[in-house]
This record gives sequence, C-alpha cells and structure tokens, in this order.
Amino acid sequence: MNWRNNQQLQERLAAEYALGTLRGRPRQCLERWMREDAALALAVAEWQARLAPLALAVRPVPPPARVWRAIEARLPAAARRGLWDSVAFWRGLGLAASGAAAVLLAAVALISPQAPAPAPAPVVLKVPSAEMAEVYLAVLSDPKTNKPLLLVSAGRDADQMQVRTLDPSIRVSGKDLELWALPAGGVPTSLGLLGDAERSMVKLAAAADKSLANVPALAISLEPKGGSPTGRATGPVLAIGPCVKFW
Amino acid sequence: MSPPADPLASLLAACAQRDRAAFARLYRETSPKLFGVALRILRREDWAEDVLQECYVRIWDHAQDYRAGLAAPMTWMTSIVRNRCLDWLRRPNLEVIDEEGELIEATESGDPGPLAELESGADARALKKCLDALEAKQRQAIALAYFKGLSHAQLARHLREPLGTVKTWVRRGLLRLKSCLEAA
Repeated sequence: MNWRNNQQLQERLAAEYALGTLRGRPRQCLERWMREDAALALAVAEWQARLAPLALAVRPVPPPARVWRAIEARLPAAARRGLWDSVAFWRGLGLAASGAAAVLLAAVALISPQAPAPAPAPVVLKVPSAEMAEVYLAVLSDPKTNKPLLLVSAGRDADQMQVRTLDPSIRVSGKDLELWALPAGGVPTSLGLLGDAERSMVKLAAAADKSLANVPALAISLEPKGGSPTGRATGPVLAIGPCVKFW
Repeated sequence: MSPPADPLASLLAACAQRDRAAFARLYRETSPKLFGVALRILRREDWAEDVLQECYVRIWDHAQDYRAGLAAPMTWMTSIVRNRCLDWLRRPNLEVIDEEGELIEATESGDPGPLAELESGADARALKKCLDALEAKQRQAIALAYFKGLSHAQLARHLREPLGTVKTWVRRGLLRLKSCLEAA
C-alpha cells in the first residue's frame, strides 16, 4: 500500500483510525508510521479533535475511589524529577551564566530547584581542529530525549546562519519551525523561520559576532505558518541547545 | 495557541515534571468524564475501571509527550482512553457483549442517544450540525463505530448490510463530515 505519496489515502486512514474502524495490523502499522511521519500524526490529531466532542458528550461518572488507589499504587514510590520541561524553560529563562555547560546546568537548576535532574548526554563532534573555521556553532537537541535534531553554524563575520536538519521528523506539515536566540538574562528573540530543505539559511540582523556574542543558547519552537504571531514562542519547544564560539 | 491558556495543559506540564499533586488534581478534574467515555464504549464497570487505571498510569508516564500545539489536553487524554478501550474490545477471548440487543434498538428506534448530549461548546454544536447533515445510514454507522468501538465487520452484522456497503457509508460519511466542519 503506497500511502506515503497518497494524501487522500493518508487522510482516510487517519480518519478511520480516529473513528476506530481501522483495526488489527493496519492499525498497528499506522501507529508506527505516525511516529515516523509528523504530517500523518497531525492528520490523526486533527481527526481526533474533530470527533472529540462526541466522546466528551457523555454523562460524567465519578469512578470509585479504588481506581485512584490502584493508580497511586502503580506509580513509582519515589518520584524522580524529569528533564526540564520546555514550557517551564521558556517561562523561567533568565540565564546569567554563559558557556555551554553552565547554560545547561543553570537551566536545569532554574527549572527544578528541589532536586538535580540528570545532566544531558554530551554531544561529541569530531572535527579536526586545524580545519575548523571561526564559527558560532549550536547543536539543538530534543529537550526530552537529548537526541540531536539540528546543527546551526555561522561564520563569525557572516550575517546568516546555516541550519542543517538532522532529523526530518521534526517538521509538522502546515506548521513552521521558528529559530530563537536565548540571550543571557534576556527574553528570547526570533531569528527567523527555517526553510523546508534539509539545509537552509537564516538571515541575521547583523554579523554573527554581533548577533550571537551574547547568546548562550538557541531553540526551535513549533509555530503557525508564517511564524509566531506574538513575537514570543507560542508552540512547544522542539529543540534546544547551547550556542558556542568555536575558536 | 498558548499552552498555559488551558489549566489542564499546565497540569500535564507539571505531571511531566513528576509533580504528583498536579497529577492528583488532573485525575480529580478529568476522571469522571473519562470514566464516562470508557463506560460508554465498554459498557461494563469492572472493565472501565481497569482501563481507566491503565490509562492514567499511561498519562503519567507519557505526560512529557503531550504537545500543546497538536491537541487540546482533553482530546489527548480521550484518545488514550478510546484507544485502550478499542484494544480491550479486541482481546481474543473476550465474550462478546451486546451482540444484537439494546444497541440496535437504541439506534433504530430513533433514539438520539449520545448525539442528543452534543450541545455545549461551539465545536460540539458544529459537529452536531454536520452529523445531522449526513445521510441517516452514514450517521448511524459513524456513531456506532465511535461510541461502541465496532469494526466494519461488526457494523455490517449489526446493520444487516453487506460489508462493502457499510465501508462506503463510513468513508463517505467521514469525508462529508470533514468538508462540512471545514466550511463551518
């Protein structure tokens, strides 16, 4: 079944999945494809939203108390703090520190002061130092899994950034990805929208040495087509990471 | 779409941070509705309790996967419950409930059933209007599939129509539903 290039078929599968009539192996396949294909996942989410009023048009019935007791018994005894939540990260961001490790640790400390969260796994870049130009470099990773999703670089005198998408599944059809600078101690400012290609360019207002010198971290948020209407990130933060001078 | 606008989104974000008080509140605020959803599909309290329990553990475990930009919190949680109910009904050893009984009577007697409760909220009103605009057979097939978790084959048996006919009703009904909702 060639569903990937067949938008009508995708739409129909998404609808029948949400309705519940897609069964058995096709249902399982679709669940797997949804994890790989953001456009399909979005189509399913849209159908679930369309039909949700049906599900919610039901008389509320408080479940017996034993249900909650059983749920509590199944939660881990000692709740461990999770990785930093992206929304909280945006709200609580007030970075005083600079330097990659310090930024990440400060962010973690800001979000979860009660208990230390596990440090993100380091991303190792194997670049022969002799060939390395003087660039600003950022590796943006999924804030939950730490999986690297994008590489951003800009020569220190250049007025544009090169963005390379490492994982195309970050894209959601009908939405745009917006790149943000997270300046030390300031509010996030938009750097622009990413193009659709695996490699795209984002224009900077001034040379990187000016634009990025005081920016210890970058982030990507999911926004409506055309970018955030408010000038602040409105959608979830899909990727984030330190921005460092590489010289 | 600003995530903090819906208090449930904030509770989910707190759950992702392993905040158990937030989880307890989320349960208090959403479990009556979700128990109702499970009860309607499964029609047995003991099953609905088991499913609800599993689903809330899942919601806790996957709170960090919730993306505010993709779905409203209640839609996301409802989908989890519906999916689990559908899985439950597909268990191979499950004794089949309600094979021919009240379900058919309810839908054939002109009883508006759950659709009548679709009143509050702009989304719900638009959906009701668009469901009402469908042919009766299409509406009935879609409602049975959604509320009772019936497969195409079960729909065909219950409606006493050929499988292909029922599949066409569902497919065309969904298409019309979408274009009606988009025009609204």
